[in-house]
Amino acid sequence: MPQFFTNKRLIILLGSIILLVAMIGFSIRDRGNITWPEKFVKDVTGFGQNIVSKPAGVVESFWDDVSRLRHTYEENEKLRAHLEELAQLESDVARLEKDNAELRKVLEKEKSLADYEPVQATVIARNPDRWYELITIDQGESNGIEPDMAVMTASGLVGKVKSTSKFTSTVQLLSAHDTNNRVSAIIQGGTPIYGLIEGYNEEKKMLQMTKIPSDSKVKKGQTVTTSGLGGVFPKGLVIGTVTELVPDEFGLTQTALVEPSASFYDLEHVMVSKREMTGVLPEEEDRQQVLIEEEGL
Amino acid sequence: MKKALLPLLIVALFYSDSVFMIFFSEQAFNGAYVPVPHFFFIGLLFMSVFFDRNTAIKYGFFFGFLFDMFYTGLLGAYFFFFPLIVYITSKLTKWLHSTMPVFFVIVLFDIALLEMLIYGLNVLVQRTTVSLEQFAYVRLLASLVLNGLFYIVFAVPLRNAFLRLKKVFD
Repeated sequence: MPQFFTNKRLIILLGSIILLVAMIGFSIRDRGNITWPEKFVKDVTGFGQNIVSKPAGVVESFWDDVSRLRHTYEENEKLRAHLEELAQLESDVARLEKDNAELRKVLEKEKSLADYEPVQATVIARNPDRWYELITIDQGESNGIEPDMAVMTASGLVGKVKSTSKFTSTVQLLSAHDTNNRVSAIIQGGTPIYGLIEGYNEEKKMLQMTKIPSDSKVKKGQTVTTSGLGGVFPKGLVIGTVTELVPDEFGLTQTALVEPSASFYDLEHVMVSKREMTGVLPEEEDRQQVLIEEEGL
Repeated sequence: MKKALLPLLIVALFYSDSVFMIFFSEQAFNGAYVPVPHFFFIGLLFMSVFFDRNTAIKYGFFFGFLFDMFYTGLLGAYFFFFPLIVYITSKLTKWLHSTMPVFFVIVLFDIALLEMLIYGLNVLVQRTTVSLEQFAYVRLLASLVLNGLFYIVFAVPLRNAFLRLKKVFD
């Protein structure tokens, strides 16, 4: 039997193990954005990915269209029913929006936590390794995308931007297992109830909303939206509906299981929301330093 | 000029994993199974056996690194495991005669090994809470079936491609 490890090989093996540990340690740190060499690699790889996945996406959506063709009649009926309601709704929205703008002007508070500017993006890759629920989209820093921005589809919130490079960004879905993945949310009802979307129940395919006060009455089917308080997500993005309420382990707060309104699977087109008002604090240069004199305390 | 076909083939294999994910509906089988494509990795194993081991290790390092950066964000995992398993495979094929059926078993073994190493690493850095049992049923078996099918369809073309490339380089 030949010797499995010669000296040289052993050194290479040990050297790479040290490198492995160092690199993993470096990459699992809680860091704001990736470093420039990573950005460069992502842009180059993303360029190739774009070339490969755009035609593939076209072919895929063509097959989807063909299979959808069979349900056209039923869909048409449904849409017609919706359309009648829509006209009324639209005029209501226009009126309310105008009202809102006028009232804001009166209050001299023109920006709101709910304002955002959507950036359309196409999903070019989903992590083939399928561990971390990451997708890559074809918009990056050059389009004004920054880490922690909210990502959604037409039906609701799906995740947040994890890292960006010049022309691509990586999005972490809400279904990912990551303890840093928290979203401040409201259950809408008579009085809004605040909580945190935190974690994903893999078996039931539901999001978990924790830290709901134990005395609050939550009903099945109530809508959950973002609260805009986390500092990054705009207010009012739909997350899902409440399906079940359980007391948490200490009985001090409650946990609701929320059925996400957007599907986390087979995403093709998403929107990244650039929030216009990022915080309640004034801009850095507008802030005045407050001096507190110590008077013989 | 024909030498450029080798990197081209590898790049095509590299993107094939994610292209497969575009076509494959994640809700197939109601999400009960998670088959993971490892087509690039299979290509790398073919390269190590039918082309040249050391070149395969170099490509493993480079593309493993790209894979880590672009897809997973956990630097070092595939960067380290791709070359390691290529090395183990080259040792295995020296002891066992590499006929196509035997190589099939070796490839499946390698994929199981890779999946388990990655799973172990994920548990270690607390990126997952999946239990070992769940992992084995939901991911491992499904991945073995998917990649086994890939092997059955593409084994002969891949082998021929690498043998022909070897002639070009010699």
